[in-house]
Amino acid sequence: MKVLLVDDEEKFALMLAKRLELRGINTAVFFSGEQALGTVEQGNRFDVAILDVKMPGIGGIDLKRRLRQLDERMKFVFLTGHGSTIDNAAVDQEVENCLPKPLQIDVLIEALNRLTEEP
Amino acid sequence: MTDALNKFPGVMWPRFHRNNDEHLNPYYTFQDYRQTWGMTIFILMTTALLPLIVMTLIYYQLIETSINTESLLRTERLASNARRAVTFFLEERLAALTFTVNEMDYDQLTKPESLAEVLRNLKLGFGGLTDLSVIAETGTQVAYAGPFNLEGKDYSHQPWFMECQQHNACVSEIFSGYRDVPHIVVAVKSMRPDGRFFVLRATLETERLIQTLSSYKTGEHADIFLVNRNGLLQTPSQFYEGESHQVDISLPAYSDRTKAVISTDRNGQPILIGYAFIETAMAPTSFILMVVKQKAGMMKVWLDLRSNINWFFGISAVIIAIVITLTSTVMVNQIFHADRLKAETMVAAERNCQLASIGQLAAGVAHEINNPLALINETAGYVKDLFTLKHQYKEDTELVEHIDSIIDAVARCGTITRQLLGFARHFDVHAQPINLNDMVTDVINFHKKEAEYRNIKIHVDIPETIPLIETDRGKLQQIILNLVNNAFQAIDNGCSLGVWAEMEDPEHVRLFIRDNGCGISEDHLNKIFEPFFTTKKEGKGTGLGLSITYGLVKKLHGNITVQSRTGQGTTFVVTLPVQLKEETRV
Repeated sequence: MKVLLVDDEEKFALMLAKRLELRGINTAVFFSGEQALGTVEQGNRFDVAILDVKMPGIGGIDLKRRLRQLDERMKFVFLTGHGSTIDNAAVDQEVENCLPKPLQIDVLIEALNRLTEEP
Repeated sequence: MTDALNKFPGVMWPRFHRNNDEHLNPYYTFQDYRQTWGMTIFILMTTALLPLIVMTLIYYQLIETSINTESLLRTERLASNARRAVTFFLEERLAALTFTVNEMDYDQLTKPESLAEVLRNLKLGFGGLTDLSVIAETGTQVAYAGPFNLEGKDYSHQPWFMECQQHNACVSEIFSGYRDVPHIVVAVKSMRPDGRFFVLRATLETERLIQTLSSYKTGEHADIFLVNRNGLLQTPSQFYEGESHQVDISLPAYSDRTKAVISTDRNGQPILIGYAFIETAMAPTSFILMVVKQKAGMMKVWLDLRSNINWFFGISAVIIAIVITLTSTVMVNQIFHADRLKAETMVAAERNCQLASIGQLAAGVAHEINNPLALINETAGYVKDLFTLKHQYKEDTELVEHIDSIIDAVARCGTITRQLLGFARHFDVHAQPINLNDMVTDVINFHKKEAEYRNIKIHVDIPETIPLIETDRGKLQQIILNLVNNAFQAIDNGCSLGVWAEMEDPEHVRLFIRDNGCGISEDHLNKIFEPFFTTKKEGKGTGLGLSITYGLVKKLHGNITVQSRTGQGTTFVVTLPVQLKEETRV
C-alpha cells in the first residue's frame, strides 16, 4: 500500500510517517498541498491520501478535489485538529473518513485497510 | 379584583421611588425616575389647570367690571330721578308763593284774614304747608297765618332772609327755628309800589319731602337722603343716622349733573355713591341728594355664585390632580418596570456574553493545544512502537531525540496554558494603565491561526505616541475581542482587517477597527447596537454581541460609532477617555 501524507505540522507528519513505515506502509510525506500536487502531477501514484483539513494555501478539502482530477482511484482520509466553524461545512461532507487529532493509530490503520479493500 | 388590590400598594408607593439597583443604571432610559415622575405631573397639571385658572380670572374680572358699570349707571339714574322729584317739590311751592305775591299786593297780604284764606287755598292746592307769613323789609314779621303765633319776630339775621334779598327767592336748610320743629322755609321777595320790598314766607312740613325721597329707596342695601353742603344730615338715613347727624363721606365738588362714584365707607367696605346738587329754577339750595349703596349687598348674588364656582373649580382641580398623579405614577412605574426588565436582561446577557467569551477563548486555546498534543501523541506512540515492534532500538540515541520532541511539545502546551491563565486574569474589574498596542496584539493573536487559514491580512498600527490609558482591562479586552470577532464573521477569505488608533484630543483615544467585508446596509446600520438584532440565520447569532459592546463602551465612559457601506466594508470607531473618571474607579 502506498500512502500520501500531507500536513503542515512537519514534526507530526514525519512522526506519523515513521509509525506507518514501521507497520509496513510505504508513506510519502509532504508539508503542503502544493508539494503533494506536484508529486502526483509528476506521475507518482498512491492508493490512499491522508490530508490535514486545515493548511495554509491549499486546504485538505480543496486538495482532495484537485488530486481526484489527477487520479480517480485515489482514496482519502482526513485529519482535523479543529472543530472550528469555518471548516464544519467541509468536514461534514467527509465525516466518514475524517479522523480527529490526536490520532489513534489503530483506527487510522483500520481506515486505510478498509479503503484499500474497497473496489 | 384581587389583582387590582395587589397592585394597589405598588401604586401608592411605586417601585421607582426606591430604586437602588445601581448596577442596572447604565441601561435605564431615564437617569432619575422620581424626577421624570415629578416633571410629568408638573407639565400635565400646568397644561390642564393654567388655562382654566387664567380663563376663570378673566371671567371674574369681566363680570366684576360689568357689575360695577351697571351699578354705577343705576345709582346715577336713581339719584337723577330723586333729584327731579325733590326739585319739583320745591319749585312747585316756590311757584305757588310767586303766584300769590303777584296776584295780591302787600296790603291785602298783611290782612290776617286774607292771609289765612291764602294759606287755606295753598294747603288745598298743594298741601305740605304749615304756615304763611309776611316779613317786612326790616326783617320783622308783619302778618302770620298758621298754628304758631310768631308775630313780631325778627328774621333780619336769619340766613334764608338774607339770601332771599339776594336772589328774590330762597329755600332754607331744614332747621328747627323758633318753634323747635324741623321745617323748611321757602320764601319769595316782592316789591311794593313805594320801592320797598317784602317777603312772603311759607313753612313746609319735612314729612312730604321725606316720603318723596323714601319712595325712591330700593332694597335694604341702598340709602337715600339729603345733606347740606357741610355734610349735615337733612333727612333720616339708614346708614348714617347718629348723634352728630354728620355724614362721614367726603363731599364732592359742586356739579350741576348727577354723578356716581365708587368709594369706601368708614369700615373700608366698598360703596357706590350717587349725588346730585339740588337747584331750583328760582333759587339755589344747600341740599345735596345722596344715594349710597353697599357694594357687598349688591354683589351678594354674584359673590355667592363666585363662591360656588370657586368650590366647583377647587374640587375639579383636586380631582384632576389626583387623576394626573395616579396616571403619571402608574405610567412611570410601568416604564420603570419595563426598563428594569430590559436592564436586567441586558446585565444577564452581558454576563452570558462574558461566559461565552471565556468559552470561545477556551475553545481557541483547546485548538491551539491540539496540534502539540497530536505531536506528543504521535511521538509517544512512535516510542511505544519502537519498544513493541523493534526490540533492537533499546540503546538507540534516536530515542533521546524523540523524547526531546515530546518535552518540546509539552513546553508549547505550557506556553499556551500560561497565556490562557494570563487572559483569564484580565476579567478582574479595576482600572489600570493599559498599553493599547499590547492589548490589541493579544486579542489578534487568538485569531492568528484563523487568519492564516482564511488568508486574511491583519494590519495593526498603534503609534508609540498613544499613551497608556487607564481603564478596565477586562472590559476593554472584551470590546476589542467582540469587534474583531464581528469583523472576522463579516469578511470573506482573502480580505483584510485593519486596527489602528489616534488621539482625538489629549484626553481621548480613538480606536479604529476596519474590515473590507460585506458591509452593513443603511437600514441595519442604526439598529446594530440594539439588543437581539442580528442578520445571521436563526440559531447562528444571539444579536447581543454589539449591544453588549455598546454597553461596555458606555461603562468605560466612551463612545462607539460605526460607518459602513454595503460591499465596501465597515469601520467601528471606539472613543475612550485616557483617564477613567475618579468616581467610577475601583
